Amino acid sequence: MLPFYLRIMLVLGALAALAVVGRKVRRQKILVEDAVFWVVLAAVFVVLALFPDIAIVLSQALGFMSPSNFVYLAIIVLLLWKVFTNSAEISRLKAKVNELAQEVALAHGDTAEKDGR
Amino acid sequence: MRVLAIVPAFNEEECLADTIRSLTAACPQVDYLVVNDGSRDGTARVMRDEAIDGVNLPVNTGLTSAFRTGMKYALRHGYDAVVQYDADGQHLPDYIPEMARVLEERGADIVIASRFLDGTVRPSGARGVGSRLITLLIKLTTGATITDPTSGMRMYSRRMIELFATGFDCAPEPDMVAYVARRFGPVVEIQARMRERQGGESYLKLGNVIMYMSRTCLSIIMSRFLR
Repeated sequence: MLPFYLRIMLVLGALAALAVVGRKVRRQKILVEDAVFWVVLAAVFVVLALFPDIAIVLSQALGFMSPSNFVYLAIIVLLLWKVFTNSAEISRLKAKVNELAQEVALAHGDTAEKDGR
Repeated sequence: MRVLAIVPAFNEEECLADTIRSLTAACPQVDYLVVNDGSRDGTARVMRDEAIDGVNLPVNTGLTSAFRTGMKYALRHGYDAVVQYDADGQHLPDYIPEMARVLEERGADIVIASRFLDGTVRPSGARGVGSRLITLLIKLTTGATITDPTSGMRMYSRRMIELFATGFDCAPEPDMVAYVARRFGPVVEIQARMRERQGGESYLKLGNVIMYMSRTCLSIIMSRFLR
């Protein structure tokens, strides 16, 4: 059985996440397309809290000591994956920013050329 | 053979003018391009006052990106070879013609000005240990012997200019030398002497040296399997 406090925490956590994400979207601090991940994650938490049998059945099928271990592990894996994709995205953004800076530098031309020599 | 010396400069107001004067005095046939990497000191002013050829990056983007700016310039202006040249006065321009000759004669993709090729000077200190380790790793992963992988004075062929100007992950660093030695033409060294830096501050302090060396070593090993 998923402990009652974990179910309460899942629901509260999901509601808090939804509130924070919603505010950021309204204040235009995050793109809707990037907010989708967090909204879906919150929804999954709520489903897990309402129907703990899902976690119980899955954890037993996979041989976990307790359903909470399974829930924690699943969340950790998900977050690690998210951090990694963030890393990859930052790499791409870095490359793009550098590319733009290089083009700006080259477009402004030689300092000597600019002086008309 | 048209050679361009790319001189990345980040906060190098102290020695940039002297470096460029000695470069143009020794090698008038070599063009140069200073890439001011968003310096916060008077580097841009020195370039203007001394009529130094160069471009200015609007923000600081790091040595790799600054160097690649120069590579794009070299590609668009049809240069046959590029030499990576420090702004701080460590490199001596007298070796550039010999590097160009060796690049052409040996069909090399990279020519390195090595301080340790003839064995009279040996790498010393923390950087020496790191340098030997990188030499060993390059030997193991590519079979090539590079006595001075961390030498910052390297000449690149036309093929390399294209690669650096258009590729995704190309840095003027030892791991790239290893990659080129494995995937492209030969990497050749010539014996050279270097001076102490003439001003400014090296970012290679002990903590940084350890970080830099471990990152470089790991990168060499990883690219052996991934690139």
